[in-house]
Amino acid sequence: MNFNSYSLTKIAKEDKDTTYDLFFGPNHPGMHGNFGYVLDMVGTEINSVRPNAGQLHRGFEKLMEQRGWVQNLTLVPRICVMDPDPNEVAYCMSVERIMGVEIPERAKYLRTITLEMSRLTAYLLAIGGFGGTLGHYTPTHWSTADRDLIMDMFEWLTGGRVYHIYNIPGGVRSDAPEGFFDKLLEVMDALEARLPDYDSILFENPIVHKRLKGLGYVSKEDARKTGLSGPNLRASGNAYDVRKDVPYAAYPYLDFEIITQEGGDALTRALQIRLEYEQTINLIRQAVKKIPEGDVRLNLGLLGNLKVQAGEAYEKVESSKGEFGYYIVSDGGTKPYRVSVRGPSLPAGFLWAQKHLPTMKIDDVAAWMGSLSICPPDFDK
Amino acid sequence: MNRITVETLLQDLASRGLNGEKISEQQIKVFASKDNFVNHLHYLQTIGFEHLANINGVDYIAENEFEVVYQVYSYEHKIHIVFKVRIPREKPVILTVVTLWEQAQFYEQEVHEFYGIYFEGNKDLSHLFLENWNDLPPLRKDFNTEEFSEKLFGSKRHGGGK
Repeated sequence: MNFNSYSLTKIAKEDKDTTYDLFFGPNHPGMHGNFGYVLDMVGTEINSVRPNAGQLHRGFEKLMEQRGWVQNLTLVPRICVMDPDPNEVAYCMSVERIMGVEIPERAKYLRTITLEMSRLTAYLLAIGGFGGTLGHYTPTHWSTADRDLIMDMFEWLTGGRVYHIYNIPGGVRSDAPEGFFDKLLEVMDALEARLPDYDSILFENPIVHKRLKGLGYVSKEDARKTGLSGPNLRASGNAYDVRKDVPYAAYPYLDFEIITQEGGDALTRALQIRLEYEQTINLIRQAVKKIPEGDVRLNLGLLGNLKVQAGEAYEKVESSKGEFGYYIVSDGGTKPYRVSVRGPSLPAGFLWAQKHLPTMKIDDVAAWMGSLSICPPDFDK
Repeated sequence: MNRITVETLLQDLASRGLNGEKISEQQIKVFASKDNFVNHLHYLQTIGFEHLANINGVDYIAENEFEVVYQVYSYEHKIHIVFKVRIPREKPVILTVVTLWEQAQFYEQEVHEFYGIYFEGNKDLSHLFLENWNDLPPLRKDFNTEEFSEKLFGSKRHGGGK
């Protein structure tokens, strides 16, 4: 007897009335942000999917046209909650490109350090996310505690824990306080010492391997052509990284290699985060060691009345999820004429959802989302 | 394939009738006409510009034109192109590029939603973000946010108190 043919899924497929719509999100614990997929289900298997966006839309791009150049800095970090600094830096870089100014060396290093610290907080959330979505909550608790160590450092440096608003056009707001770098290095040591624990509980865990292996495969060519970026792109075997290809801040002065893997599935993407986490710690140490003395910002006059000459530029930053780009058009006034944000999540959140989710089981959706690091605020902005 | 520089790329595109300007060592902007821009994008794709990062609109209301901007990047040549196409505001219709890049589907839906630009050949221009929206497309410059919110929520000042 063939048991498969008598399973619930099989019987239901023959009867149209037994398909049902399941709202995965916005209140599902495995959903990242106020976003959702409407899943057309048969039993526990997904038939088709409809992204249900818009619940997070706050009209940032329109708001930015109505506020001053520097006021906008309070808006941009909110486009990615877990990794806010790439937004600030990309926005500032775009403004600086139009103005044709170059920021002081020390500011470049401070930007690099905050970017990498922000990347660590995002990776720790991602590690926690992997644990949580697979029903394994210990790494989630650990990473939340570890993330707090970096948030404390952010609070000391910038005054803010989640949103820092530290970068401004022309550099950074203020220099690092006395003793900041020594403490930062201590935190890096503490975080590195935790890595073997994460390895044994999560990254070498056979249950995690079984659940993630083969899930959400993306081939090398597809990853490049469909606009995937960041760790997702590199986990499919493409050696591309904005930090190397279009160098910005202090990255040209730092020594690092692009990490690539060939697998292209959710497990490879999880391991990619693990490898890049280690690299990030290394980058922070290098930057702290090499940081020169000097000014941390240019004198651009009264920033509240900042005027940016007419022009346009697209600048991008490698965030923990991929390429964050800001296309800014200025008409020479005190407000931007147009700001368009390129978030890294849209190709995965919309396009790959249509390709991957059908035939997937409901249990895997949250883990799949976490593995592609889909962060809805950056397309539903 | 040899790596091309910004200068050679600009020359190459000029020989094909595309005017461009250099923004930086790794970035140029290019102005294309709406009649043949898809061919140019296809050509760029064949010489290595395979990454479509974004499609966005800009409303140049003083010139009575919309601009659709394609952000294209080459992993191979490490050059970013801001590819600009102007269309008249009265008849905002432009060809789709879904056949070149799959993810363009969603970018075009977004631009359609926020600017009211129609993408000829795109089969699904339904709204992604706005539900039951029957006002002007909100990112147009003539959409007044204050008027809209007064109409929707009433003109309560300071939290609704008297």
